[in-house]
Amino acid sequence: MLSQKKNTLQRVLEIIGENGFILIFILWIIFLSIGTDTFLKSQNIFTVLRQAAIVSIAAIGEMLVMLLGGMDVSIAALLGFSGIVGASLMVKFGVPPLLAGLVCVLVGGLIGFINGILVTKVRINSVIATLGMMTVLNGVALAYTQGKTIVGPQLDQIAFLSRGYIGPIPFPVILMFIFYILFYLVLNKTVFGARIYAIGNNEKASWLAGIKVDRLKILVFTVAGFLGGFGGMLQASRQGSATSSMGNEFLFPILTAVILGGISLSGGRGKIQNTLIAAIFLMTITNGMVLLGISLYVQGIVSGLILIIALSLDRLRYRKR
Amino acid sequence: MRPILSLKHISRSFPGVRALEDVSLEVAQGTIHALVGANGAGKSTLIKILAGALAPDAGEMTFGDAPYVPADPSEAIRAGVSTIYQELNLLPTRSVAANINVGKEPSRFGFLDENAERKKAADALARLGAGSIPLSAFVGDLKVGEKQIIEIAKALVSKSSLLIMDEPTAALNESEITFLFQIVKDLKKQGVTILYVSHRLKEIFMLADVVSVLRDGKLVLTSLVAEVTPDSLINAMTGRKIAGAFPERNRALGEEVLRVESLSSRTVFEDINFSIRQGEVVGITGLAGSGKVELGKALIGDFPINSGRIHLRGQPFKPSPSKAKEAQFGYMPEDRKKEGILEELSVQRNISLPSLPELSRFPGFIQFRKERSLAQQEVEELDIKTPSLHQLVRNLSGGNQQKVSLAKWLATGSEILLLIEPTQGIDVGVKFEIYKLIHKLSSQGKTILLVSSEISEILGLAHSIIILFNGRIQAVLSGDDTNEEEILQYTFGQKQKEIAHERS
Repeated sequence: MLSQKKNTLQRVLEIIGENGFILIFILWIIFLSIGTDTFLKSQNIFTVLRQAAIVSIAAIGEMLVMLLGGMDVSIAALLGFSGIVGASLMVKFGVPPLLAGLVCVLVGGLIGFINGILVTKVRINSVIATLGMMTVLNGVALAYTQGKTIVGPQLDQIAFLSRGYIGPIPFPVILMFIFYILFYLVLNKTVFGARIYAIGNNEKASWLAGIKVDRLKILVFTVAGFLGGFGGMLQASRQGSATSSMGNEFLFPILTAVILGGISLSGGRGKIQNTLIAAIFLMTITNGMVLLGISLYVQGIVSGLILIIALSLDRLRYRKR
Repeated sequence: MRPILSLKHISRSFPGVRALEDVSLEVAQGTIHALVGANGAGKSTLIKILAGALAPDAGEMTFGDAPYVPADPSEAIRAGVSTIYQELNLLPTRSVAANINVGKEPSRFGFLDENAERKKAADALARLGAGSIPLSAFVGDLKVGEKQIIEIAKALVSKSSLLIMDEPTAALNESEITFLFQIVKDLKKQGVTILYVSHRLKEIFMLADVVSVLRDGKLVLTSLVAEVTPDSLINAMTGRKIAGAFPERNRALGEEVLRVESLSSRTVFEDINFSIRQGEVVGITGLAGSGKVELGKALIGDFPINSGRIHLRGQPFKPSPSKAKEAQFGYMPEDRKKEGILEELSVQRNISLPSLPELSRFPGFIQFRKERSLAQQEVEELDIKTPSLHQLVRNLSGGNQQKVSLAKWLATGSEILLLIEPTQGIDVGVKFEIYKLIHKLSSQGKTILLVSSEISEILGLAHSIIILFNGRIQAVLSGDDTNEEEILQYTFGQKQKEIAHERS
């Protein structure tokens, strides 16, 4: 009798865990549409999507790492560090924007590669390894910039990346959708994607099935680094400047988006499209609170509660194992 | 002598397996009572029931004068039954004194009373003649033999009157064993009753007063040790088996495909030499701890090798799972759930996993139609019972999971298959399906290395049988002219055969 009840409860939790945040998202949109005049205006919608772009692109990298059962907490610091590299190449050394952007992405990839080596070859837990990397990157960024802002007219050359429009649609929104379509295909249609899910599901069995687990993990961390590096370029473009703290604001929304989107913390489970929806949801929360005139100081409380709820759902959903 | 423990008509089943059937047993107070049986005879189940870790489906137990129905292990300990499992349950980063008192820490006003804790630990160790073990040492730093003593001291602190020991000597060296025997005999003098579970017949004759034999979940013999011989125990353990259940072996053997030369892994196995021809089934058997499983794992790169060589089709082979896959060398591990399958993935993906590169086209897109038809083919070939290819493997029965674990290698065209305990925990019907499958694969020219504790399946399937004892090859027998008794005598180390390198 008791176990029957528990099963029903678990099933309800499972449904909420799988789709609940989308349900809450829809309710929130309906509420904002009725409660405010401005929310449904296309200009506001594009603003939300544009704000979601950088977070959601970097979140793809985080999601890949988390599908393997790891976590990369250096992703935001990496994003900031790459942004500084790109911006200072252009401003201080007059490097053309395309080359600077390329270097920016490659630097991100290199940092991701080092993370991968630390996790696989040196066998440090991924949270610890990337926590160390985060500290180092923040330190180097601060030492290099001396706390000053890197700014110059050269950065206008990349303004289009984050502030441009194609027709009525902001360019970064287009980028965001391109990245998501690309990685949707990678995860669902390719051998690489299948192996990421396999390793996240059971690393030992995957290794015994002949998959080169270490090599694939390093590759995933590197790809996450590329994506973070690209995010850094976007952020430098959005701000028109670079500062040592430019990545800091991203760690929390990236992790929240991935976890809220239902990527299991133990790896192997989750859908990329839900990460995108979760990232957009997060932005509508901030956007909606602004539109509703809620104090900036309260917004942190709401965001924090949402992460805790998302984490609780994740745990409850997988409690049985 | 009156019984301190008595079991009446105890039965316990697991899905597909009757682990214990109508077992009635009395253990007399103050005796050392040995319990023996082959793998899968039901010893572990019986231990777990006595320890309160499992409940029987039917039957009654009394301990002392009262009915004994432990709801969980802590109740069993409170009633006076302590169990020392083969894999010891100690806290490596806590002190000796803390470990001995764990679960019943002396306290005053809710604060830990460290002096009392040390005193109780010291008393217990002194009773065991092991006062030399420092109370403040970390248990993780102790030798295995000392850890065993800590476990016994724990039981003394709980004032246990029945001590169950599961293979206590498995990891001990000679002098540690001698010391342990002394302790066990002293405990007996102090009135503690001991249920001693062991594979090692020699120890039973040195130590026990009474011996009971389990076979296929039934109690087949209880006797004074003075009235039995090693041979009669082995007979009781094996019983009579149904003959003719296995098909005739494949006779068309080809070239040598795998050769192992003086392979050693520090302390686990040593100087292993053998070779296998195409289409041959070679069985490797031995007791738990003989090194057979580790030897199998070493061949695939899942266990370290210190010296020796492996040749695959004449080429030197440095083992790793990915190299093995390239060499068409497939591996079905012992622990199916943890190593053989991906529970949360579909039947289809489990089967196709090693073949994905061949099923994809540039730049890595999987051709799902090909993947599906490959999986479909294997599901039909192996008769895997699943409602659909998209079913999660977690939802299949154990036998079908085992088939999935094998199917992925057949799908990728493996020519050599290493199977470790392929029928462990599988019900009898599927067992015979797997035997037929192994036979069929061998007839198709596939080479099979079968590592198993089940002597009947080794005997029924293998062309030649390698028996390991304490990490060394004790004998190599031909499957055609040996029998279960002979194999058991080698596995228990009762007999040894000089190995000539006849198979070259």
